Amino acid sequence: MGLGKTLAIKGLTLIAVLIGVLLFTVLIIGASGLSDRVLSSIMNEELRGIRQRLATQIRDPEELNRAIEGIRQDLIKAYGLDKPWYARIPGMVLRIITLDLGSAREVQTFTGSNKVSDIILERIPNTILLMTSALIINFAIGLFFGPRIALKHGTRIDRAVSLYSAVSYALPTWWLGMLMILFFSFQLRILPFGGMYSAPPPEDPFMRFLDLLWHVLLPLATLVLALSGSWIYITRSIVLSVSQEDFVNVARVKGLPEGLVRRRYIVRVAAPPILTNVMLGLAGSIAGAILTEIVFDWPGMGTLYYKAVMSVDESLILALTYVFTLIYVLARFVLEVLYVVLDPRVRL
Amino acid sequence: MSSSIRESFSEFWASNISKLGIVFLTVLVVVSIYTVTTLPLDFGVKYWYNPTYWVDYPKAAQPEWVNLFLSEKLMKHVELSTTKATGIKPYDDRFIKYYNVSYNHEYSQFPKFITLKISNLVFYDRNSPPIVRFYVTRPDGRTVELYTLAIETPSDNTTPPFKYFSTEPKRILLSGDMYLARSLVGFLYREFNLSLGTSSVLEVGNERIVFGRISGNNTFTPLTGKYVFSIVLVCRNVNDYVGMIDVVLGGYVYGLMGTDVLGRDLSQGLLFGFPVALIIGVGTSLLTTVIGAGLGIVGGYVGGFVDDVIQRFADIVNNIPLLPLLILLSFIFGGRLWLIILVLVFFNWPSLAIIVRSMVLSAKTSQFIEAAVAIGASRLRIMVKHIFPQVAPFILAQMIFFTPYAILAEAALSFLGLGDVSMPTWGQILEYGFKNGAVFLGYWWWILPPGLFIVYSAITFVFIALGMEPVVNPRLRRWR
Repeated sequence: MGLGKTLAIKGLTLIAVLIGVLLFTVLIIGASGLSDRVLSSIMNEELRGIRQRLATQIRDPEELNRAIEGIRQDLIKAYGLDKPWYARIPGMVLRIITLDLGSAREVQTFTGSNKVSDIILERIPNTILLMTSALIINFAIGLFFGPRIALKHGTRIDRAVSLYSAVSYALPTWWLGMLMILFFSFQLRILPFGGMYSAPPPEDPFMRFLDLLWHVLLPLATLVLALSGSWIYITRSIVLSVSQEDFVNVARVKGLPEGLVRRRYIVRVAAPPILTNVMLGLAGSIAGAILTEIVFDWPGMGTLYYKAVMSVDESLILALTYVFTLIYVLARFVLEVLYVVLDPRVRL
Repeated sequence: MSSSIRESFSEFWASNISKLGIVFLTVLVVVSIYTVTTLPLDFGVKYWYNPTYWVDYPKAAQPEWVNLFLSEKLMKHVELSTTKATGIKPYDDRFIKYYNVSYNHEYSQFPKFITLKISNLVFYDRNSPPIVRFYVTRPDGRTVELYTLAIETPSDNTTPPFKYFSTEPKRILLSGDMYLARSLVGFLYREFNLSLGTSSVLEVGNERIVFGRISGNNTFTPLTGKYVFSIVLVCRNVNDYVGMIDVVLGGYVYGLMGTDVLGRDLSQGLLFGFPVALIIGVGTSLLTTVIGAGLGIVGGYVGGFVDDVIQRFADIVNNIPLLPLLILLSFIFGGRLWLIILVLVFFNWPSLAIIVRSMVLSAKTSQFIEAAVAIGASRLRIMVKHIFPQVAPFILAQMIFFTPYAILAEAALSFLGLGDVSMPTWGQILEYGFKNGAVFLGYWWWILPPGLFIVYSAITFVFIALGMEPVVNPRLRRWR
């Protein structure tokens, strides 16, 4: 199979994933009757407002009812409630694929816009700030300790790290977050309970930055504490399995210097799988820390999605699901390309 | 075959971490069995999510054992009950039955509240129902009249014996009770020559006056010593009786695990979390493994179109960001345990199927499979008898390693308020705590244990999986 063809198949699969997830979400929301229920309740709410306004102008109750009925029919058409839910699907999917994300009902940006794209653009940097910096720190820790421990396989340090990573695999990050708040914010009163800035945020840009640092410290520490164990362990395992390969032994037996063996024979081969983890972690982290964001009241994509689901904001749910999947799928594709660059065996 | 299993097991048992895992697992299973046999299966609906069941419990009380670390002990929650009359005396044309309970107060706090409960009052004379009077005699010898309960005349269409409060006990909350406040006004004036109005009595708090001595201007400090609560039943018929009388003194510490803001005994909810976590963890991982491994083996061995379909589908599902969809699905279909399990299975079998398939592909080329084909063994026989044993250890390890994932996923969903509302789980207890500000109020006993149990049950399987690593991946053995 040619390289182009491999990538093309992968790309097509990922596009299928994207559209599949979108269709699946729409189907779920539509088929469960959720969409109809929510739309008609929005419409009735709007209708009630109109009735109140009209009641001051039209005195005759019968005439008022007739006028309202007319408006109701118009609204039903406007909301597409005259057609079954599946008739609304193509339009909805098409709009979202072209990134025309519509507007949210309750959630707003700080400037007051309720356009979904504005809201997402406002939230994404917050999530990236928290999650990506946590990921980078964890990755650095993993990369620093993992290979060193792999070379000391079986020693006490190695076993301690294995235990730490086992604990961190079993430890819910969000619960650790609650403990951290309980200890540092409630007991010691030295760190804020949550949020991203104090209320009101400081005016001075530098103070504002310090305020942000003060707020990001606890969630960041939580994420590093809870997840670095797995990172070290994954890196360790990958490096360990590579360093047990025969070609590494051959290199050593040949008498190559240890540094060279590590650089050329171990790290070079171990890099692609480690990179896979980083990329997937990066992509997953955009949506992945919903719970941590909730615990720390961090105004990111996770809390946004939670709010969207809880208030059944159809367009927001769809848009966010799409964006999450899009980011994930893009990361996967970049990964495939990188793999080809890094691992010559794939090119065969 | 059996000797290789024995060998694998001794390999597994050799490491300390697997021993620890097995010990943990045993505890997990034993506690789950204990819970299922002692608590009713509808515990969630009937008790946990039924606030009236918990009204007599202290709200947000710490566990009792905190007293071990405190120099000033916190008052334990007390429920004094009696079923037998301690004495009977004729009085004019009536009888008086005494029910006494005593309590030794030795704390420097007042009770949080005082509640009286009467269950199962039975009497025979339609025209003169009994009267129930409550008194308390304090350590200083003074007696306070707490309450008088007059029983309504029964309706005409009933026949004796008349039974009152048999399904639901009559509950009298004395703190804030007007009758007691008035009685206390008289008590203070008579005994201490202190004039306080009912409103100032209520402001101080009934329970503080009943359990207090005057220590200054309208301030009371707890009076320690023996309190005797006597309940007096004035009745016409000598056979009239009260089934049970309870005096509840609200405390500051309760039980092994404390209570939440509704007064729910956390130890019971936490206990119920054990079997639920076990079912979710084992159920999900079992189903996921059976489906994932089955489809992986079939796809890998049969190949062709079947394989293509399975792999394409697995590829697609495997590329979906899981958590957002999981949240959406649980929100729409409502929290039901089996649904949560099914959703977790649906999203997680593909990764196993992909790996198992690649292992089967390499196993397929080995000579003994060729030999089996040559003899004329059927595909099914080859898959079950020859391919499956090759990948079985790996599958088993994957299954065990997936179990904590399922436990954690359910806890996360529960924490988002999307769990099964018919039974308490650790995630739900945490969710309710977080929503009620347990973290911000410092209710550590509400936050710590559920999370610790989640970690405990998850780490049990992580340990076992770690112990299995050298068995599944023999290359690791020589390093030990």
